[in-house]
Amino acid sequence: MRLLVVEDEPALRETLAQQFRDAGFAVDLAADGIEGEYAGAEFPIDVAVVDLGLPGRSGLDAIRAWRTAGHAFPVLILTARDSWQEKVAGLDAGADDYVTKPFRFEEVLARVQALLRRSGGWSQPLLSSGAIELDTRSQEVRVDGEPVELTAFEYRLLEYLMLRAGQVVSKTELTEKLYEQDFERDSNTIEVFIGRLRRKLDPDGSRQPIETLRGRGYRIVRD
Amino acid sequence: MARRPPSLQTRLLATLAVLLLVAAGVAAWALESLYRDLGLRARQDVLEAQVIALIASADLAGEGTLQPETLAEPRLATPGSGLYAEIADARGEVGWRSPSAVGSGLALEAAPPPGERVFQRLQLPDGTRLLALSLGIRWSLEDGSDRDFVIRAAESLEPWYDEVGRVRAWLLSASALMALLLLAGLAVALRIALRPLHRLEAEIGDIEAGRSELLGRSWPRELDGVTGNLNALLAGERKRLERYRTTLGNLAHSLKTPLAAMRSLIEHGRLDERRALAPHLDRMHGIVHHQLKRAVFGASGATVTDLPVQEPLEQLRGALQKVYADKRVDCALRVAADAAYPMDQGDFLELAGNLMDNAHKYCQRQVAVRATPWTSAEWRRPGLVLDVEDDGKGIPPAERRRVLERGARADETVAGQGIGLSVAREIATAYSGTVEIGESMIGGARVSVRLPGR
Repeated sequence: MRLLVVEDEPALRETLAQQFRDAGFAVDLAADGIEGEYAGAEFPIDVAVVDLGLPGRSGLDAIRAWRTAGHAFPVLILTARDSWQEKVAGLDAGADDYVTKPFRFEEVLARVQALLRRSGGWSQPLLSSGAIELDTRSQEVRVDGEPVELTAFEYRLLEYLMLRAGQVVSKTELTEKLYEQDFERDSNTIEVFIGRLRRKLDPDGSRQPIETLRGRGYRIVRD
Repeated sequence: MARRPPSLQTRLLATLAVLLLVAAGVAAWALESLYRDLGLRARQDVLEAQVIALIASADLAGEGTLQPETLAEPRLATPGSGLYAEIADARGEVGWRSPSAVGSGLALEAAPPPGERVFQRLQLPDGTRLLALSLGIRWSLEDGSDRDFVIRAAESLEPWYDEVGRVRAWLLSASALMALLLLAGLAVALRIALRPLHRLEAEIGDIEAGRSELLGRSWPRELDGVTGNLNALLAGERKRLERYRTTLGNLAHSLKTPLAAMRSLIEHGRLDERRALAPHLDRMHGIVHHQLKRAVFGASGATVTDLPVQEPLEQLRGALQKVYADKRVDCALRVAADAAYPMDQGDFLELAGNLMDNAHKYCQRQVAVRATPWTSAEWRRPGLVLDVEDDGKGIPPAERRRVLERGARADETVAGQGIGLSVAREIATAYSGTVEIGESMIGGARVSVRLPGR
């Protein structure tokens, strides 16, 4: 999952970036509204966390600009002013949820995950496809109720495919979404990881949970 | 520097001075014309009397001339007396002329036919202005034939003109005096009328200087609106100031304890005890959050214009639909078309936002919001009733009081959640309104905010 953080306070920005990376996100950073608006419009991000009080161009303006340009990724706003006027203004401009400052990272993460789930059409934190169950809160994966150990990258890959269950996801999209802006990209590594994931989820090859559509990408069946 | 606009008193007096001068001039002119008119008619009557007297005393002399036998009016006999008469025959030949006309250069030419009269105004060579009357008569002779004559009389208008001049001067000075007196009277009246304004100025000065808190009572009806609004504004500001003071005091005091605890942890605690700072930070956040929530709302009352509530309620519904997207809440808004209240928009969003947020949080599937005007014969502007209902578990009667007062005391620990209702109540109270908790028809709690009109 590729996430954009737009926050002018450097300490908070870096902390958020680190915590989101630890949680398995590919993180892009922007320090003001202008940079943020550009990043949101140009990078293939899945979700944005935007501070409302930004220098240069306000967070509200950036969100409005994204929505006007047709970008539909979910936006979580961070606001220091805990008034309904501020919240309504943010949600009205096109944001999807809010967290007031100061906040615990766990809360921000939970909101972001909920937004991602929702944008993928899931209303519960528990995603499932056939025998596979993925809990976005605890980041646990089970097959037939049995826990499966995945590495961080494998989990991110599976979560992405599960969130977009029923859709074909190309290798390019996966590299874009799972790696950050400046990362060296090589779509072969995706194939390697898909292979490992298949072995872990389906050791005897009886279920084939991840379909390969030649030349187009991968798909997980939606229940 | 921009020039100060002239004072109200100057404006009024200047305008009135011009009006009064015009009025006085018109009055003087009207009186004078009336006087001239009447005077002229009186002169005409005098001339007619003279002519009739001449006819009465006239008799035919030799060669067919008509002349008076005696002169009843001595002025006719005195040269330059200003009263002249002559009698001419039908050919225009003057048969008789009064001695007073000798050497005056009088030349009267009007010759009306018998039975008719002609008034004329003319001037003698020496500049004397005259009023003349020529009357045509037919004289019956003893032999049965008739002869026509014209009898003319003229009188100097100079004495009358002198009199008219005197009257005009008198009229002008009298009206000027009247105008001046009126103006002076008006100046005094204005001063008396404007006295409450000076009093208002002085009282505002007192408030500025801190000598008094509010404007006094009993103002003239015209100022009642201004002073009433001003007092409401002052009272609102005072309330707000008090709230700020209380908030600041509470904040300062309640932050001291966690600060002290954190300080001792930093100074004496071990490095791995850093996590122990977190609860103190949370507590401090809770305190700041709670105190600021209670302090920021406006409630300035009198100065706020009517806020139609439909749009903010729809905005809140839209916002909450996003926040509670997973619950798929069915939120029904029923807003009367004329539902409006003089309230700061931020305050209203805060009030309704807290209640609707709670309803969304605790409902199963349904939330109903209703806004209706609240009218009473005593109010010029209606109040507002806002009902927010949900189909959740509701709030047990025993809990209701506590929920509304939760967090009202500064030293109570309050996490971010759960103060929604008490915040709503504080905002309602600031607008002299009330909040009641009851049971909803759809199953859960019904919170009714009643904001009175004015």
